Amino acid sequence: MLAYYFRLAVKSFRRTPGLTALMVCAIALGIGTCVVTLTVYHAMSGNPIWWKNNVLYAVTMDSWDPSPNDAYDPDHPQLAPPQLTYRDAEYLYQSTIPRRKVIMTQLIGMLSGVPGKSVPIQAPTRATTRDFFSMFDVPFQFGGAWDAAADSGPEPVMVLSKRENEKLFGGANSVGQTILWNAHRFRIVGVLADWRPLPRFYDLTTHSPWSNPDDVYVPFQWGPTLKQLPGGNSSCWGSNAVNTYEDFIGSECVWIEMWVELSTPQAREQMQAYMDSYWATQHKAGRFARPLNNHLTNVSGWLKVNGVVTGDSRILLRLAFAFLTVCLINTVGILLAKFLRAAPTSGLRRALGASRREIFVQHLAEVAAISLGGAALGLALGVAGLGAVRTLYTNSDGYSQLAHFDPLGIAWALGLAALSTLAAGLYPAWTVGRLPPSLYLKSR
Amino acid sequence: MLKMQEVSKVYRTDLIETHALRNFSLEVKSGQFVSVSGPSGSGKTTFLNVAGLLETFDTGVYELDGGDVSRLSDDARSRMRNEKIGFIFQSFNLIPDLDIYDNVDVPLRYRRMKAAERHTRITKALELVGLASRMKHMPSQLSGGQQQRVAIARAIAGDPALILADEPTGNLDSLMARQVMDLLEQINEMGTTIVLVTHDPELARRAQRNIHIVDGLVIDSPPPYERRTTTVAFSADATSSRAG
Amino acid sequence: MNIKPVVSALLRNRVGAVLVALEIAIALAVLVNAAFIVGQRIAAIEEPTGLDYHNMFSITMAGVTSDFDAQRSARDDIAYIRSMHGVTSAAPTGMIPMSGNGSNGTLYTEPGQRGKAAAYSVVETDEQGMNTLGATLIGGRNFRATEILHASRGQIDQPVPEIIVTQSLARALFQEHGALGQVVYDRQNRPMTIIGVVRDFIGQVGFGSPPYQVAFMPRIPGAYGVYVCLVHTAPGKAESIMQLAEQHLAASNPTRVILDAYPLDHYKDLLDSENRNMAIFLVVVTSLILAITCLGIFGLTTFNVSTRTKQIGTMRAVGARKRDVVTHFLLENAIIVASGVLIGCTLALGVGYWLSTEYAQPRLDMSFLAAGVLILVAVGQLAAWQPARRAASVPPSVATRTV
Repeated sequence: MLAYYFRLAVKSFRRTPGLTALMVCAIALGIGTCVVTLTVYHAMSGNPIWWKNNVLYAVTMDSWDPSPNDAYDPDHPQLAPPQLTYRDAEYLYQSTIPRRKVIMTQLIGMLSGVPGKSVPIQAPTRATTRDFFSMFDVPFQFGGAWDAAADSGPEPVMVLSKRENEKLFGGANSVGQTILWNAHRFRIVGVLADWRPLPRFYDLTTHSPWSNPDDVYVPFQWGPTLKQLPGGNSSCWGSNAVNTYEDFIGSECVWIEMWVELSTPQAREQMQAYMDSYWATQHKAGRFARPLNNHLTNVSGWLKVNGVVTGDSRILLRLAFAFLTVCLINTVGILLAKFLRAAPTSGLRRALGASRREIFVQHLAEVAAISLGGAALGLALGVAGLGAVRTLYTNSDGYSQLAHFDPLGIAWALGLAALSTLAAGLYPAWTVGRLPPSLYLKSR
Repeated sequence: MLKMQEVSKVYRTDLIETHALRNFSLEVKSGQFVSVSGPSGSGKTTFLNVAGLLETFDTGVYELDGGDVSRLSDDARSRMRNEKIGFIFQSFNLIPDLDIYDNVDVPLRYRRMKAAERHTRITKALELVGLASRMKHMPSQLSGGQQQRVAIARAIAGDPALILADEPTGNLDSLMARQVMDLLEQINEMGTTIVLVTHDPELARRAQRNIHIVDGLVIDSPPPYERRTTTVAFSADATSSRAG
Repeated sequence: MNIKPVVSALLRNRVGAVLVALEIAIALAVLVNAAFIVGQRIAAIEEPTGLDYHNMFSITMAGVTSDFDAQRSARDDIAYIRSMHGVTSAAPTGMIPMSGNGSNGTLYTEPGQRGKAAAYSVVETDEQGMNTLGATLIGGRNFRATEILHASRGQIDQPVPEIIVTQSLARALFQEHGALGQVVYDRQNRPMTIIGVVRDFIGQVGFGSPPYQVAFMPRIPGAYGVYVCLVHTAPGKAESIMQLAEQHLAASNPTRVILDAYPLDHYKDLLDSENRNMAIFLVVVTSLILAITCLGIFGLTTFNVSTRTKQIGTMRAVGARKRDVVTHFLLENAIIVASGVLIGCTLALGVGYWLSTEYAQPRLDMSFLAAGVLILVAVGQLAAWQPARRAASVPPSVATRTV
């Protein structure tokens, strides 16, 4: 019976080819636009470590300038800085409350001494403690993270990203090899597998949230040991002079990111208490002049606070839905007119024995055919649109990553759009089914 | 076959009440060929709509083929129409973008018949009306008389118990009209009950029995005339021309 | 002109009319707000940078070892670049305009972080820095070569006795009074005399300091082992000279590496990209909505006309002229368009208000609303024009035909 209805639908399309084309194209455009914006939005608002969303917490303490006009972020003056001072990070890191903990910063790294490469290569380096890898579920291809002794040494050990390993060693297992990092000999203990969290949630201060993870990882204490200033973001306030590295790590400059893993609510409370009591003692000693503003923020909260999903993408998402709505209204109007014009024929079918439901289903089949056609064309348009978005963004710092074929996002968009078209067509189909058969039969 | 007892139908609007049928009673036995005539506004159309289960009525009882169909649901009425009644309208009401085969096919589709059975029935019906060779043609390629014969084929394809014909010859010239009436008589001879609604007294007389309606009431008519038995051979319609 | 048959015709097909009106309403709301946002984004892109960035490029250098002599390396590299054909000016800096790479600070008019305060982007550079950036001196003087400080590695934030500020920075600190000769203080209460004021140019955007508040410091960068060679070239030569420079510099000094090299166009483009892409998207989608609404009205009106030929024929048969038929359909359409526009105005204002609160956009400018209304009315009526004319050509004889 469905095959019969689809045959009737095709005949109906042929009767008004222009209007049919308009309906299908309109829906396709609406769906295509939704596919593009939904994909980008979905990628942008993704939580790359959602399974650990409620155990990982960013640690912030508000050590910033108490002057009312000198807030860290003038647009959001109530927020604490996203990084910690060296003093505070060192103290908090000693807590045994968290299951795992990490302090880290960005350093400029020069790699040399690679056989076959004469010129040193610059590699963005993350100076971090070892829990980084287990906390953030970073996968290893070869070897693994360094041990706790290497953190405290610090020992000259390093982990390479997959990309860097391919660049330097052609992708071979380089564990055990040594390389010069900033003119010091380091031993490779691990090579990461593919890992590209979008957004780069663990560090939102260095580059855009969509930039690649770092290529080299070394123990955190190498920065202080080599007196190497951070290569990422650091912000300072206060009237004390900062002229040497010693001044720097003793100052109120913030430059360290800290995350903890707290697996129970009790642990969370304990950690918060630990931070607050530290604050209290420091406050009495004259630091932390701003009101108490210590936070443990989970990943989704952290992404929100740092404004990873731009206002623009949200506006565009709503615009896409408005567009789809216009296309659907258009379609409903056309379908209604078409169905009502064909009402005499439907009345005839009713007289010949079709039930209301059969007339309804017959017209619904027509709606479904249009919906499917529009969805298929819309998918093609959407994929093309994503390609266009990628070219628009090629220059940007990783934004083009967002516009990639995301099966889940696209499935969402298609499903939503196709279903909404079907829903829109329910009213016209139902209206036709409701008409009494005698109304349209010319009996006199 | 068809038994109406004291059937009344009133059309009500805010201002007017129209009694289209008043205590209308009629009995048509199986196999009869009955004509229903009357002036305009007499209630013929209402009678047809009610008899054909296209409309409900207010009071009374309607039995069709032995079953009480007075208070059926809309779905049940659709099914009844599909299985028991064949309609022939004044305007041929063929679906213009379906070919002849598909047009005759329409009621059979709602019967959920298998394709093979449908094919047999459609072929037989079209053969009976002499248009089997034009199966794949579109309605616009046929003359008025031919279109009406297709409508008849559609009406009989499902082997209905009752055929309701509403001014089946109203839009045809006299030659085609006679052909159509001969066909109806032939179908009646094969056993199908036929109720013919018309305002043409000539046509009315060709039936076995004539019922006259005035203002929603039945006034029976004089006994039937003899029926002429004519077998009409339908050749390739080289002599027919388009109506109108 | 009789309105009643028009209204009754509309009421007969209520749902259809309402749907078209809704379409128009949404189209209007989108058009008005999208146009407004696009206008703002274009304005943001067109804001003058004060730089001849089409003819500038930057090469960032970083030392390989911890004992890297950034000062010497910078001096040598800049000397080489200055000798290149086509280079009008070059200087070492610690920042690249518009890139987000650099640092900023705060100045105070009084010591102890008191008085008026103003944040600014730092440009550590030598006496050629001003020339390279094309900053025009409006008062005072440039640094002399002898005044340039050379800090060694590990010497962060060495104090300088003098600075040159942009007009915006001067105004932020001293309003309309002269800034020349005034003494300002940094966070560490170190005094600096303002020896020159230059016309505004863009420092960093979205960095915590207003973009046009910039100050030159007579200090060659290198405390972090990183410095930038900023170069201004003859027109159109930036890309080619940059490649030549890169080639030479990559091999000329093994103690340092090129971190990156880009023409300044690259950074301007990055800065603009979000605004530009937003504008493109808005323009595309809004045009599509208008097109679909227009086509929808055209299609539906054509369809309606073809369905109502009997009615039209009857109208003509009883004496309506062709013109009256056209008027009838245009009037039907006009009522729908008018209702749609009315709803759309409310919707547009609502959306505008929501945008201004939720996304900190400025309030919708009413002239956009007026223009939007005119456009939608024009588009809506134009779409129905041709079908209405086609309606007029239906012959009166249709009235009596039964087939």
